[in-house]
Amino acid sequence: MAHPILVPQVGQDLTEAKIVELHVKLGDRVKKGDLVAVVESEKASFEVEAFAEGVVISLPFKVDDWAPVLEPLMMLGAEDEVATAAAPVTAGAPVATAVAPAVAPVAVPVAAATAVPSVAAMASPAPVVGGLRASPAARVAAAKQGLDVSRIAGTGPAGAVVLRDIAAAPALVRISGEVTLRTLQSGQGTPVIFIHGFGADLSAWRPLVGRINLGLPMMALDLPGHGGSTGQAAASLDDIVASVGDALRSVTGGVHLVGHSVGAAVAMALTARGDLDVRSMSLLSPAGLGPTVDGAFVHGFLEAQTEAALAAWMRRLVHDPAMLAPVLVRATLSARADAGLVPAQRHIAHALFEGGTQLFSTAAALRAFGGPSTVIVGREDAILSAAEIAAATPPQAALHRLPGVGHLPQVEAADLVVTLMCRTIRAAG
Amino acid sequence: MRELMYRDALREALDEEMARDPTVFIIGEGIAERGGSYKVTEGLLAKYGPGRVRDTPIAEAGMIGVGVGAAIAGARPVVEILYVDFAMLGMDMIVNQAAKFRLMTGGEGRVPFIMRTQGGTGGGVAAQHSQSLEALFYHIPGLRVVMPSTPADAKGLLKHALRQDDPVMFLEHKHLYMTKGMVPDGEHIVEFGKGDIKRAGSDVTVIAWSNMVPRTLVVAEDLAAEGISVEVIDPRTLVPLDRAMILNSVAKTRRCVIVQEANRRGGVASDISSIIMEEGFWHLDAPVEIVAGLDIPIPFNLALEQASVPQKPGIKAAIRRALHLEPAALAAE
Repeated sequence: MAHPILVPQVGQDLTEAKIVELHVKLGDRVKKGDLVAVVESEKASFEVEAFAEGVVISLPFKVDDWAPVLEPLMMLGAEDEVATAAAPVTAGAPVATAVAPAVAPVAVPVAAATAVPSVAAMASPAPVVGGLRASPAARVAAAKQGLDVSRIAGTGPAGAVVLRDIAAAPALVRISGEVTLRTLQSGQGTPVIFIHGFGADLSAWRPLVGRINLGLPMMALDLPGHGGSTGQAAASLDDIVASVGDALRSVTGGVHLVGHSVGAAVAMALTARGDLDVRSMSLLSPAGLGPTVDGAFVHGFLEAQTEAALAAWMRRLVHDPAMLAPVLVRATLSARADAGLVPAQRHIAHALFEGGTQLFSTAAALRAFGGPSTVIVGREDAILSAAEIAAATPPQAALHRLPGVGHLPQVEAADLVVTLMCRTIRAAG
Repeated sequence: MRELMYRDALREALDEEMARDPTVFIIGEGIAERGGSYKVTEGLLAKYGPGRVRDTPIAEAGMIGVGVGAAIAGARPVVEILYVDFAMLGMDMIVNQAAKFRLMTGGEGRVPFIMRTQGGTGGGVAAQHSQSLEALFYHIPGLRVVMPSTPADAKGLLKHALRQDDPVMFLEHKHLYMTKGMVPDGEHIVEFGKGDIKRAGSDVTVIAWSNMVPRTLVVAEDLAAEGISVEVIDPRTLVPLDRAMILNSVAKTRRCVIVQEANRRGGVASDISSIIMEEGFWHLDAPVEIVAGLDIPIPFNLALEQASVPQKPGIKAAIRRALHLEPAALAAE
């Protein structure tokens, strides 16, 4: 009797995991507790152990393959056994290498939140073996909220997504037009919206959000042309702000904004739109407050083809190179498996940073903002100018200049950033 | 309000309507001198005389034929058939005559014929005296199918039956005659097509009728102790069926269990389930569960009889499955 070893559920909202290590090959005998594989998702890797003794009689994956979670990673059986049991499952999942990196949720435009779910709106963007198991009520609720039901972990029979999963899901994909909005942490009250910087995506916020204990909903979005958000149309900061503003229209009753770099500029510009009730702003290494930008970095970062090249450029983001985790580089690289991503980002880079100059300014918006605002900048920022940012920060905003920190204070001074951010949010009352 | 037994509530309805309408009369086996096997008609002979309360020979085809004919001629006959199983002898009169007459006369004819009878299991009376045959009548267009579960409903529905003009299959349950319940004082009428929420709840809708209602209510009480809020809906009349009440409840709870004593195949529960599939599908958070009798003749042996129809543990398990608290029997993929 063959037994499967399943690919672990590596994240609540993920359907695939990348296999980074395989410690067994076909015909190997394993015993209970043996490490057979390591799979990875976003920033975490998971060791897979054998739960029983047996011989590996089926192993359909190789290193770097993406495997659907909760499906057999391999089959264990007797020496002479043929892995027929594995066939029906794995046959349905010919997992091509890097078809859809787990870090890049696929945005599917959902028709306006109509009560009647269309077949198109129900179509699952991710391959789900054996069909998507979700109750009608869950599908309707997901469609109404613009949620991608295929990315929700089900708790119903055989993992079916049922209504309670929609109501209580802590990590959901919310899709609005071109911008993916995802709840990273559920909570009650005014949501905190995290906006990443150029070339990153919403998953970059996960380590930081994991340290926050405010009880508020924590949501993050992918800027157009980044992560799971589609669209190359962004020809200016205004285009990006318009898309994000539209996506946030579904969030009613006020928001706290946390932005990094270009994301901070987007946050500032959002307050000037007037249709979003922004309660507070926490701006990390904000763009839009001066002309300087490291044009060589933008170009080199975008065009790097290998892990080594990308790491070389990304080290410029931090003051202490040790702070740049290799997994962050790999995640950035694997996100580029989406063929549309780099061209879209080139387009945006051209629109925002042509000639090594920030072609937009959000200083006026920051000056006009009446709520609590905090600017956090690393004194050793090599991408933007800390001096320019400090000079443009108006008197009513709190300014924190962190020594020994580069362009990523949320990585290099995470605890302090969390403290300052929470203080800013609480100050809004 | 007074507490009455189901059988006494039925007698009150007959008594009141016979006093009100001289065209109402009753015939049946042992219903006059003996007052009926379940004592529903006790005392009516003395009050209304042998012209309106009449014993018949053991000849169900003849009794039903008399009733249908008298109804067409303008009377309001109530024909008591001792067991619904015996109504099969009169099926031609019911299905081909009573059910069709109004339509085939272009709406000029009326058949206010009431067949009072009882069904269901109870105490080992075996395969020919234990059936729940409502689905046979439910299937025939033109018949009204009434299945009261409480004394109040029994009285109110029987009174309404005697004031409308279509043939009514009034199906009582042998286990319910001695049950007690509060009955409103004065004129109490329950119109057809209006279900009753026997217990309000929010987690799961259970639809049950006849003797399955009290059984389900016991289960609902048990589950309340576990924090599960069960809404119990009794349609009271299967034809016409209160679709709105069912669909509204399912829209609220998003889960539905249907309990019928009759065997599963071709049953009313399956039809109600299909209605929910068509009209309430997008509300559902779980497959509709049906708890029904086995597709076998009811066994004589008491233990086997019990095993052949829904009991409390089976109802409870179905409710828990609908709430995803127990693994569902998933079809292989």
